[in-house]
Amino acid sequence: MLQKIAPQTLRIIALLAVLVLITLFFTTQIEGFLSGRLFNRISSSVAIMALVATGQTLVILTRNIDLSVGSVVGFVAFAAGSMITNHPDLSPAVLLAYSAALGAGFGLINGLLVAYARVPSIIVTLATMALFRSTLVEFSDGKSITTDNLPAWLTDFPNMVVFALGQMEFRAGFCASVLVVIVAHLAMTKLRAARQLYAVGSNPEAADLAGIDAARVVLVAFVLSGVMAGLAGFMFLARFGNITVVAGMGFELKSVASAVVGGVNIFGGSGSVIGAFLGAILVDLLETGLVRWAVVSEFWREAVLGTLILAAVATDTIISRRLTKARAERAQKEALASRVAK
Amino acid sequence: MKTKHVLGLTAALMLGGTSLAYAEAIKINGGTAADMVLLPKFLGILVFDQANEGAQEAHAELANGGTLTFQGPTPENSVAGQIEMVTTAATQKLAALMLSNNAGDQISPSAQAAQAAGTKVVTWDSPIPSGAGEDLFISQVDFGSIGVVMADMALSMVGADGGEMAVLSATPDAANQNAWIDAMKKVLAEDAKYAGVKLVDVVYGDDQAEVSYNRALALVDKYPNLEVIMAPTTVGIQAAAKAMQDENLCGKVGVSGLGLPSEMVSYTLNGCAPQFALWDFRDLGYLTYYAAYGLATGQLTGEIGETFTAGRMGDYTIEADPGRANAKRVLMGPFTVYTKDNVEAASK
Repeated sequence: MLQKIAPQTLRIIALLAVLVLITLFFTTQIEGFLSGRLFNRISSSVAIMALVATGQTLVILTRNIDLSVGSVVGFVAFAAGSMITNHPDLSPAVLLAYSAALGAGFGLINGLLVAYARVPSIIVTLATMALFRSTLVEFSDGKSITTDNLPAWLTDFPNMVVFALGQMEFRAGFCASVLVVIVAHLAMTKLRAARQLYAVGSNPEAADLAGIDAARVVLVAFVLSGVMAGLAGFMFLARFGNITVVAGMGFELKSVASAVVGGVNIFGGSGSVIGAFLGAILVDLLETGLVRWAVVSEFWREAVLGTLILAAVATDTIISRRLTKARAERAQKEALASRVAK
Repeated sequence: MKTKHVLGLTAALMLGGTSLAYAEAIKINGGTAADMVLLPKFLGILVFDQANEGAQEAHAELANGGTLTFQGPTPENSVAGQIEMVTTAATQKLAALMLSNNAGDQISPSAQAAQAAGTKVVTWDSPIPSGAGEDLFISQVDFGSIGVVMADMALSMVGADGGEMAVLSATPDAANQNAWIDAMKKVLAEDAKYAGVKLVDVVYGDDQAEVSYNRALALVDKYPNLEVIMAPTTVGIQAAAKAMQDENLCGKVGVSGLGLPSEMVSYTLNGCAPQFALWDFRDLGYLTYYAAYGLATGQLTGEIGETFTAGRMGDYTIEADPGRANAKRVLMGPFTVYTKDNVEAASK
């Protein structure tokens, strides 16, 4: 029965099961944990990380990594903030396009260096992570963006309630983010061009023989990751309003953690956007739970979080390896059986 | 109008012991060229730029023919960057280096090398904990009095019937914040006046908007009866205030702590952060420059008991630092407590 379900679907079901288990665990430990409020907290916070994790997934699928996303989020949040501060009448669509375009520009720099200059992505993006952050420090000139200078439509947007189920509020920021994730997921599963990301990631030589321009695919992945980080920067600005040069710091690791926990193979070629989205929710849930769980002190929380992520990934790797092996054995047996039958 | 609450009773008592011999104040004369560097914890934070403005003001006032350079590391490279810059300063034969230390005692060897090369090392905002490699520390306010100010603000917010308070700090190992929180705990424990203020938790937002925001909400969820979030950091206080505003919790939970008027004005006016305190970073830069220039040009010797006139700010005396053995400080003070009555004027 299990063998009939596609491994990706199985993985998502497993993730959902883990989410439920962790929620139940914290519910027994923390008074009043399971409530509409919990949903509101996590959905609002995950709205930003989901976008970054989606972009990160596209890059990881091609056997690369993008460590510059945190700096891009910070830069775009600041740049979009100073743009709207100086031009308060700018339409929302223009500001959104500006954010996406800035992100795309940063992604293009990464992509060109990785795909065409052939520098390993971990080196390129480690360098651009520092470079983009330093550019922000220079660009900001020590000023910070404050909520007062932002138009109401921007700061109200993330918290606007689209619809509510009891205490659970589906806010605009979360809904917009989920929409982007769904569109990306559909594109990744249905579009031929998007399948090239998987092809390049699982076997670059074979992809090349099949006539896929691997360098271009990698470039596109980085540009899209930049666009996602740009959109996340826009959301960051809308949600937090007060932007300093440290905005988005640490997002690179959290996005990688979300993707990997969500079952995206760090060696490329397999994984899904929905998985990364669930991974982001899982990481956020663990963090929220651990913060409120009296057993774990402030100093140990990061360590516990790291251990849990490691455990999640290890379990996932072992299970999927067993599954693949079982599948292969079964296929072999069937092949043998059919030969015997003849 | 800016109303200043001078909350320096403890500071005044301490001063009383050391400054009995009130010598004639030394007037710092300008005109001598001295190359100086102002080194903040890192670039890109408004308060450090304000300190630079103050230093530039003093630089122009004293007609220093040398250069005043404002340079600092990027945020993610703060510790290593500071050590590197101090090491470089030692080879540049600077007259004075003004440092807001973020590298703990790790900075000492390079600061001592700078001193050996003839550079006066004056710390401000955050000192070198051991005092090794430092000529003088310009202390913004007495660290003990920050505890009193925070306890007072908490008390006025929970009211006569008492209530729960939680602290949202910067990083778990931030030396200034930890000293201030400890000072507040001491005040709360020792003075019966504060018996109603119940400190339930201390959490850390890493001085990042998103982490601080989420921690503030977690506090509210964890402690349903929470009345005050005290954030002794400019990043934490505004993130907490925004979080309370976004979740419509302002009437229930008040935010207070140390904040910048320009960043806090809307939250103070709408009641989310009814009161908060801070010292003036422009003044801190200005005073630091005067002291460093005096030392660099030989007008000040840096001995305990020496009094000097720092331009528009008046007279200050060098004294033993009560918090650090073998270290010397100049205490700036006082605090300004901001409420809806004075925050608008200060935010301009």
